Amino acid sequence: MNTTLMEKMKQVKWRELVIYYIFLGVILLFSILLFDKGFLSGSNLMNIARQTAMTSIMAIGMTFVLSTGEIDLSFGSVVALSSIITTKILNSTGSILLAIVCGLAVGAVIGLANGLLVAKMNIPSFLVTLGMNGIVLGLARWVSNLQSIPVNNDVFTFIFGSGDIGPIPILFVWTVSLTIIGHLLLKKTPYGRRVLATGGNKISAMYSGIKVPNIKISVMLLNSVMAALAGILYSGRLHGARYTLGENDVMIVIAAVIIGGTSMNGGKGSVVGSLLGALIMGILNNGLILMGFSVDQQMIFRGLIIIVSVALTMREKRK
Amino acid sequence: MNEYAIEAKGIEIGFNGVKILHDVDFTVRKGEVHALVGPNGAGKSTLVKILNGVYHKDAGTISLYGKPYEYTSPEEALQAGIAMVFQDLSLIPTMTVAQNIFLKSIPFRFGPFIDDKASAKHALELLERIGVNAEIHPDDLVSDLSIGQQQLVEISKALSNDPKILILDEPTASLSTSEIERLFSVINTLKQKGITIIYITHYLQDIFKICDGVTMIRDGRVLFSKSTKEITLDQLVAAMTNDQGGKISWEHVQGLRETKPLLEAKNITTHSISNVSLAVYPGEIVGIAGLLGSGRTELLRALFGIDPIVKGEILLDGKPIILHSTSDAIEHGIALVPENRREQGLVLDYSVSENLIMPIVHRIKRLLFVDERKKDTIVKQYIKQLGVKTQGPGQVVRYLSGGNQQKIVVAKFLASDSRVLLLDDPTFGVDLQAKHEIMKIIHAYAAKGNAVVMVSSEFNELADYCDSIYVMKRGKLSECLSGSMTEDNLLYMVQ
Repeated sequence: MNTTLMEKMKQVKWRELVIYYIFLGVILLFSILLFDKGFLSGSNLMNIARQTAMTSIMAIGMTFVLSTGEIDLSFGSVVALSSIITTKILNSTGSILLAIVCGLAVGAVIGLANGLLVAKMNIPSFLVTLGMNGIVLGLARWVSNLQSIPVNNDVFTFIFGSGDIGPIPILFVWTVSLTIIGHLLLKKTPYGRRVLATGGNKISAMYSGIKVPNIKISVMLLNSVMAALAGILYSGRLHGARYTLGENDVMIVIAAVIIGGTSMNGGKGSVVGSLLGALIMGILNNGLILMGFSVDQQMIFRGLIIIVSVALTMREKRK
Repeated sequence: MNEYAIEAKGIEIGFNGVKILHDVDFTVRKGEVHALVGPNGAGKSTLVKILNGVYHKDAGTISLYGKPYEYTSPEEALQAGIAMVFQDLSLIPTMTVAQNIFLKSIPFRFGPFIDDKASAKHALELLERIGVNAEIHPDDLVSDLSIGQQQLVEISKALSNDPKILILDEPTASLSTSEIERLFSVINTLKQKGITIIYITHYLQDIFKICDGVTMIRDGRVLFSKSTKEITLDQLVAAMTNDQGGKISWEHVQGLRETKPLLEAKNITTHSISNVSLAVYPGEIVGIAGLLGSGRTELLRALFGIDPIVKGEILLDGKPIILHSTSDAIEHGIALVPENRREQGLVLDYSVSENLIMPIVHRIKRLLFVDERKKDTIVKQYIKQLGVKTQGPGQVVRYLSGGNQQKIVVAKFLASDSRVLLLDDPTFGVDLQAKHEIMKIIHAYAAKGNAVVMVSSEFNELADYCDSIYVMKRGKLSECLSGSMTEDNLLYMVQ
């Protein structure tokens, strides 16, 4: 018994756990630095959970995209457009179901377009989604007329962002359940295996009978739908939609996924790691606010922290 | 009862208007190991890719076990009983052995989820079937395995589909001698289990060890198809090189070592070699004999400024030089032809001429722009000199055969006017004829008073072509062995 446990301990690749060290380190640091500012208080922790929910959910989709060796830069504006479409339809029809379906459909259509362009026309995903970002953002500004759209549907705002179940924010429930589903999907199902194979070696995957283009389309689709869901959750939490939603999330989400151990070259991905990555980004953000930095300073810090932490993660992996 | 496993008749195929196979008949008896040989670019890979369903033939018929088949994809070929082990390994390096073996169908499930335990168990059975379960474990990560082990995993993966016919495309190309023996015993095991094997190779001696029949293809046509009992190695070599080949070696110039060395390394140590000294004289080709992992590649890396030198010094023309980077080395006239031509030596999607002028582009520019006319002259001269088989300077390098790609890599560095050329396994995976042509080029280069250091895993080549030989073993270099070495001497010494 003992020997097998020892063997198992040896098999664990400590280097791959770097994300957990960073996670614990960051919490420890802020617990000490911000002890008297209530960093560890229940309400602040719940706040962090709420603030990071959307980026965590987007990070799940992005994990799949990066695992295939592709990238998506358009999802920030998908967040905005889906939130605007959802709230507009909700306000004009009063039907939550219809609003949600339309909001998610926005993501699905954009993701499908991204995927088709990448997989069928062989255009690099970087370029496709960069262009798509412009298109979708333009649509979001146009449709909303640069105005915020308020939401007054209590059922909608409760389910999609503002509600609490006992002491637990509903956003936390969304995050945890989607993370579990995403983790199982990537690590335990044939689909996830094919995603990782596609990123690990595209040609080998093709020779193994994997329909590489379809896998690529599916991950672009998945990511866009997750971004659309994040957009819906934003409008529920903020009781409204605006074209600026999601604009700061692109950098944070991609950084979170890479810090979480997913390889930008594909073939390696971890949904749980991405969640931790997103939490780290969220905690840093929260800490910076509690320390009293201005928004401008926060942006500068966030950029620096992303570069430093990604550099650390990459360096660990190269060893 | 039909005696043939495969009967392909009148196979024709062309790409972009260039005909690759002309009316090819190819038959393989049930249960035999059948060699498919021919120079690079002859159409061997194209033929098996048709059998395997990757390419679609323009004309002809294929029968398997007497039944005509029309399949249009590798999956359909698999269902018909043909599995292929590819030359460029088709494994996913980031996955485990078991995950790779069952990647295609992922047959073991637990509801919607993969049953990794059952996969591992069945993977172990397949590894046992070819007798390699002692050294390869289903949970091993493929990137941690040696190339030889990966090859065996690849075979297990092909066997997971229970094929009747197995195609092996140059399986020994990157294996060490002991790994090759290993592979041969696996092939014999498969043969005993009644599996018919098509075996593509450049190593003609091997054919007599394991094959029953052999088909020779040249220029897209079948030259002959015989039992290995009816043919000798010399006949095969002659057919392969179009009767012009045979052994080419040349008079070794005497007294080379009496002048001043052009390049000298004195007790250099890096993270993977220790206390290495060697000297190369003008006009000399120096061979480094060593097995994979002996430090032979690392020695070249040190001389080329890639691996930092911890101790010792490098002298050029008797003057110490310090190499911080590859551009320092190139500045001093040292060039390296890397081991892996496809990844390190060429930009595959660039044209022949763009690849050739890459290192000299600064010399042929006029004002700010590349002098196109000068470029054309240089490129055409090299293509002619090297006998590169290409449709022209504009052809994309990816579609050239291995031998021709290697010629371009070598030419690229000759064009750079370097005085010291470091070659890492320059004839790896190249057919005999191209090999001779490459060695001729290198010899002519040395004869102009330049120096060559050449690493090779083919010791007969070192013995034939090199003026002096050093033996590399576990990061250390032997004394210089001049004069007449034989392949057997060297094989013995590197162990």
